[in-house]
Amino acid sequence: MKQFAVIGLGRFGSSIARALSEMNFEVLAIDKDESLVNAMEGVVSQAVVLDATDAKSLIELGIKEFDTVIVSMGETIEDSIMITLTLKELGVKQVIVKAQNDLHSRILKKVGADRITLPEREMAEKLAQGLASPKIFDFIEVSETHGIVEMVLPKKFANKTLSELKLRDKYQVSVIAIKRKLPYSKPDGSTDFKEEVIIGPGGADETISGDVLILLGRNEDIDKIKKL
Amino acid sequence: MSEEQQDLIELSDFYILSQRYEEAIKVLKRAEKISKANPRLYYNLGIAYEALNEVSEARESFRLALKLNPDFASAQEHLDKLIGE
Repeated sequence: MKQFAVIGLGRFGSSIARALSEMNFEVLAIDKDESLVNAMEGVVSQAVVLDATDAKSLIELGIKEFDTVIVSMGETIEDSIMITLTLKELGVKQVIVKAQNDLHSRILKKVGADRITLPEREMAEKLAQGLASPKIFDFIEVSETHGIVEMVLPKKFANKTLSELKLRDKYQVSVIAIKRKLPYSKPDGSTDFKEEVIIGPGGADETISGDVLILLGRNEDIDKIKKL
Repeated sequence: MSEEQQDLIELSDFYILSQRYEEAIKVLKRAEKISKANPRLYYNLGIAYEALNEVSEARESFRLALKLNPDFASAQEHLDKLIGE
């Protein structure tokens, strides 16, 4: 099983450590602030008080055995640089570093970070995208030309089989999954729903108003469907 | 609560369970004309709108249900989910 270490347990670091732990991964959480480490006790597999800018402590901890180390050091770019350098020199395969801005991001790349994350900007961009197109829930770039989009089924597509819709012929996109709300009656007589995901739906599968389609295709073809 | 309104809400339950959400909304709008004092009416309206991904209408409906019954746990759960999404 993959092992993760998270260095820096502020808001971002503690959230990612918690999320990975909930996915049943082994997570080592590190911070020099004892109260932040104590807050992670019982949440992650191991939580350690340690100054990660001290290379010797990291070596003694056996950090190089971890597949991925996430560095989330807040405002102090110097600390992020030092830790990233140490981790790469020790041979950690994947080092992901939280940056504050583009300059930080460029510096961190130069010292060997495998991936940079700018969480606030990424979140803001996602929110802006959601506000601009409320029917588009998510977009994942697969390559420069292709993407996966999660979008509400256009009204005119409702109550038709996928064969009838001919999305592949007309728009050159593939439906890779359908998310559907499944209504049920609760013991008190009221109604509620749970979500089901139909993976790799077939031509005979019929759409229902309110379905969410997950489509794979060229960005320009996806854009055409978004406008429907 | 009038019997007619109760019948309409039950009809909306049937439409929701049959995944005919637009029809559920239509009968609930008719039920609303009879009285605006029923939290179940607004809860069902919220469910139907949420199923259609009409998020702002769903949010508003769950808020109205909670205004009429602040202890309406299911309405609160749905509202929390929609606000956090």
